[in-house]
Amino acid sequence: MEAISVEFTKVGKRFGARAVLAAVSGTLRPGEVLVVAGPNGAGKSTLLNILAGVLRPSRGGVAYRRGDEEVPRREWFENLGMASPDMAVYEELSAIENLRFFGRLRGHALADGALAELLETLGLPVREHHRAVGTYSSGMKQRVKLAQAALHAPAVLLLDEPSSNLDAAGHEAVAALVARFRARAAVAVATNDPREIAWGDARLDLAL
Amino acid sequence: MRASTLLSESLAVLGKELTAELRSRVALNAIGLFGLTTLIAVAYQIGPYQIQEQDRPYLLSALLWIILFFAATSGLSRVFVKEEDAHTAKTLRLAARPLAVFAGKYLFNLILLSALFSLIVPLYCALMSYRVRGVAGLAVVLAAGAVALASTSTIVAAIIARASGSTTLFAILSVPLVLPLLVMLIQGTRAAAASAELAAVLPALQGIVSLGGAVLTVSVYLFPVVWHD
Repeated sequence: MEAISVEFTKVGKRFGARAVLAAVSGTLRPGEVLVVAGPNGAGKSTLLNILAGVLRPSRGGVAYRRGDEEVPRREWFENLGMASPDMAVYEELSAIENLRFFGRLRGHALADGALAELLETLGLPVREHHRAVGTYSSGMKQRVKLAQAALHAPAVLLLDEPSSNLDAAGHEAVAALVARFRARAAVAVATNDPREIAWGDARLDLAL
Repeated sequence: MRASTLLSESLAVLGKELTAELRSRVALNAIGLFGLTTLIAVAYQIGPYQIQEQDRPYLLSALLWIILFFAATSGLSRVFVKEEDAHTAKTLRLAARPLAVFAGKYLFNLILLSALFSLIVPLYCALMSYRVRGVAGLAVVLAAGAVALASTSTIVAAIIARASGSTTLFAILSVPLVLPLLVMLIQGTRAAAASAELAAVLPALQGIVSLGGAVLTVSVYLFPVVWHD
């Protein structure tokens, strides 16, 4: 996957009369982790959704660039991995089946051994891989969600509160994942957790 | 450039739908229970002998499609609502092309409808003593009806899922699309019951295929807008 940077310029978002974001600018650079911080309601998740292209900004714009060339919007999703609290994987399927499914959709049909290895690096033991996700604890579901985001080695990784519901070991696993992606991808982490804020090479503070 | 093909993505969505449904059986139970309950209520109250001989082709064709349509509606409308309710819609939106999602869900609805028709139609014919002269004609009408109803149900289900999942909205949006289709399906079924000639169902079949094809074509263009905006 070629390196991609994400530029956002004077991005603003209104929901009806309520302004959530006002003229936020910045760049997500390959090899860097951008931490988006700010109090609840400051628009951290909204900004990540706009950067992902699942939410349209009310003003301003976002551009994905591969070198000098702009990546067409229709190609954003294939270069993107995302995990956020408003996303879930399929509860009727096991962790391996979920990853197999998302891998097929993204054209990265990995062998079960590679999928199991990915889950293990995120702290989900092998004995749990073939059980329906619906029977998992919230922390185990979070691990599968993160594996889904990282599965296709995306050039842009957006993580919204990635350690939520995770124990200390889970937090360490996410830190290792972010460190792995930092080497070759553009990473953004929306968080208020001081441990996650420490991962950042750059920081964007949003205010209410 | 995407590494997966549209066909492989569509089949992946279909496979996921079938696996999830076989494990939860929510739509299968809803459709099966609604279909069987309505069928038994109709058979018990009206039965084969409560209808005058000259009215049988008209009434029995209409009753069959009323049972099939309402049973189908109880299950098919969930195909997108369940993604929104379970918070999997965004995960799916980021991973799959819109057309692959539509195709996979459409094929899943088509399989559900085919299962419903296979269960209810023979039982209905037996319980209501509904003698069909043109079995081949009826099979063609049912197949065309399943294709057309699946396309209508799938696009309407997508619209209501984005409008916070109101099943009332499903009914309202379905009326202008489904009413003419149901009328033609009833006409085709009546023609198949009355004549062994396949040509007897052709006028209705042309209408069913035209309407189903038009809805499917419009859906292919409309769905990406509904799915992403």
